[in-house]
Amino acid sequence: MAATTTPPPWQWPIPRPLQYLFDAVPLRVYEATELPARSQPATSDTLPSLYVFATAEDARRGRPSFNPGCLKWQTYLRLAGVPFRLVASTNHASPTGALPFLLPPRSTTSCSTSPIPSSQLASYAEKTHAVSPSTPLSVVANIPSSSVLRSEAYQSLVDHPLRNAWLYALYLDRRHTSLLDTFYTGPASSSGLVRATLRRQLRHAAEGEILKMGSYLSGAAAGTAVVDGDRVVREAGEALEALAGVLAESGTGWFFGAEGPSLFDCAVFAYTFLMVEYMAGPGEKGSREGDVWLGDMVRKAGEGELEGHRVRILRAAFGEGS
Amino acid sequence: MSTPIDAQGLQTILDNSLTPAAIRVVELHGARYTRRSLLDHIFKPLVETGSNPNCTLGDVVSSISTAQAKLSRLGIFVEDSFRVFISDARKDVSVHPERTDLDIAFNVKERSRLALGAGTDFGNTEGSAYTNAELRNIFGGAETLTVNARTGTRTRSAYNAIFSAPINGNPDIRLAAETQRSSTQKPWASHEENLTGAGLRLDWQKADNGDTHSIAYSSIWRQITGLLPSASPTVRADAGDSLKSSITYTFTRDRFNRAAAPSPTLPQSGYLLRAVSELAGWGPLQGDVSFSKTEVELSTASPLPLPGVKPTSGISIGGGLRMGLLYPLPFGFNLTGSAMPSRINDRFQLGGPTDVRGFKLGGLGPHDGADSVGGDVYAAGGVNLLFPLPRTGPDSPLRFQVFANGGRLVALKHKGKSKQGQGDGDPLRIDSGAVRRSVSSAVSELASGLPSLAAGVGLVYAHPAARFELNFSLPLVMRRGEEGRKGLQVGVGISFL
Repeated sequence: MAATTTPPPWQWPIPRPLQYLFDAVPLRVYEATELPARSQPATSDTLPSLYVFATAEDARRGRPSFNPGCLKWQTYLRLAGVPFRLVASTNHASPTGALPFLLPPRSTTSCSTSPIPSSQLASYAEKTHAVSPSTPLSVVANIPSSSVLRSEAYQSLVDHPLRNAWLYALYLDRRHTSLLDTFYTGPASSSGLVRATLRRQLRHAAEGEILKMGSYLSGAAAGTAVVDGDRVVREAGEALEALAGVLAESGTGWFFGAEGPSLFDCAVFAYTFLMVEYMAGPGEKGSREGDVWLGDMVRKAGEGELEGHRVRILRAAFGEGS
Repeated sequence: MSTPIDAQGLQTILDNSLTPAAIRVVELHGARYTRRSLLDHIFKPLVETGSNPNCTLGDVVSSISTAQAKLSRLGIFVEDSFRVFISDARKDVSVHPERTDLDIAFNVKERSRLALGAGTDFGNTEGSAYTNAELRNIFGGAETLTVNARTGTRTRSAYNAIFSAPINGNPDIRLAAETQRSSTQKPWASHEENLTGAGLRLDWQKADNGDTHSIAYSSIWRQITGLLPSASPTVRADAGDSLKSSITYTFTRDRFNRAAAPSPTLPQSGYLLRAVSELAGWGPLQGDVSFSKTEVELSTASPLPLPGVKPTSGISIGGGLRMGLLYPLPFGFNLTGSAMPSRINDRFQLGGPTDVRGFKLGGLGPHDGADSVGGDVYAAGGVNLLFPLPRTGPDSPLRFQVFANGGRLVALKHKGKSKQGQGDGDPLRIDSGAVRRSVSSAVSELASGLPSLAAGVGLVYAHPAARFELNFSLPLVMRRGEEGRKGLQVGVGISFL
């Protein structure tokens, strides 16, 4: 019997003869029935699983996720030397409704394994190191305490302008519809109708997210909420310049003078990497003269500090060159 | 003079059933909204019989009762409103002295065209409340539109709408179009399933023996979501969307002698055979899942006469057997390509108060942690003995029962190495040879060791709408991970193992 079934809050007192009877059965217990084929890879692992948005192929090879939120934590855990395996997944699999989350292997903590949401991943990484010193060395550093307040201010540049620009480009900019299909709607279903419905839902949600962040309403259309794309992109450009400036000022190659990459570096990398990787600029299908490309903006920000930063983290976390 | 036929009149007619007869006029009164074309289909055989020169009074009577039965099966007339008047039409005896010319008049009353209902339901360990609206005879051709809304202890919400119409005025062949949307909790596997779908169904039955057939196409978007924090990796791996596009054929032969039973849900003799086959994803069907799925169910009942007790002792013995097999198929038109293993929402679940008693709902088969993740092959069987209670006797719908039942639910597993590095190859993919081997090994595993077994005693109350059982059960043989139920268990349902 599985030990995980929680006992009911109150039980009938069981008379003694009945208790003897209950204790006597079952008369025979065989080995457990084996799990179905689909659950074998999901349950046979001894490593914790990080559930992220990724293509099945990328997940198998441990390549960077295409979702900034997931990539931030994937990068952080890799830099922190936490061993894990990637699982390509969807929001539906998450207890909080959002990815990423980490599922510890079943063997470590009795039988029940509660998923660890992203908000607790940093402390999980610390604990992992405390428990088993055999794990690879962590290279993550902490931001010097004098700069913590400042880093929080800059964090909002990542959380708002960069995030908005990514949402706008991926979901609302029709140049990237095929990218949206490859990332999200394609893996969900092969049905055109299901994909179209999901695409509409995703676009609606992305629009809502951007509008929630500030007044990005396009002035022209009264009554209908339309995101002012030019403004979103312009503000992202300003944010990238500001971040490049801070990085130049730091001198260590990592943000705020830290000795190594911090969580903040991972958060910036998650956007700069994806923008360069997937929205690099001219030469892409459907690009026109005068189009603005986020990847291009990352490369040109400041004097190329963000580009250098991106390559450094890519090498440190994924062992790849640019 | 015209009179409605009563039993005595009928006897008179039957006594003269070989008398030559002819039908002159057929009239139908009271069908205000019903289209002529629909009625023509029903009365045409009657008129044809009546104009046949060899027609006898017996033929006339039997075709009248056929027509009346058809009218009744259309479901648009009030059940006990039927009256048939037969009158002798002969004005001039000399024309056909040897033949009886008849005028036939049917009196019917149409059911109200709009019916609204609300109520509560119990079934499969769930209680629910529903409202429904039924529009009958919409275009005068016995078309029906039913709209249902339901919410319950496990069903968060469910809506469906069905439009159905008889084909060619034949009440025994109906075509139905259906749309549905629902959200249901699946506590045995820590998730919730949302369904949105539409389909087309053709139902037909043999009027003479009651065998029913149904063939349906459906396209359903399924979404596994709302996972509990404790959900197992197996359930997490299957979370998300999938589209099932499938054709299902269902055959039902219900030979239970329900009329003679104390309650329709407590038959004392006869049998019921049901077979369901589903083909999903293969060929032109497309969709995200591809498999064939077959289930067969047989239940029987027979009275157990006791020596010295009057013929109907009320004691009966019942037996049930169910089997199912899910076979993963390749996509497209090929038969030898690679297939994907089944998902949790396609696999079978076994166990619970209405199938294998003495186990929790979904208590049998593979379990990942506390989640019952289902299996691809199963067999289950049971025997029960029903005794009337001492005071109430054989005619009451109350019985005391002794039962033993068991089953085995196994999942397909693929021992072969997954072929990695094959370009786009999903490591889960399995080639057709491996599928065949794993199906045959799963089928042989059904017979390995004893099946998971439980036995017990209980009370049965057979209400005409549903059967209620209160059982005391003990699981005797189990597999690790399976969830038995020691002690009391309540079952409410229509079909039991």
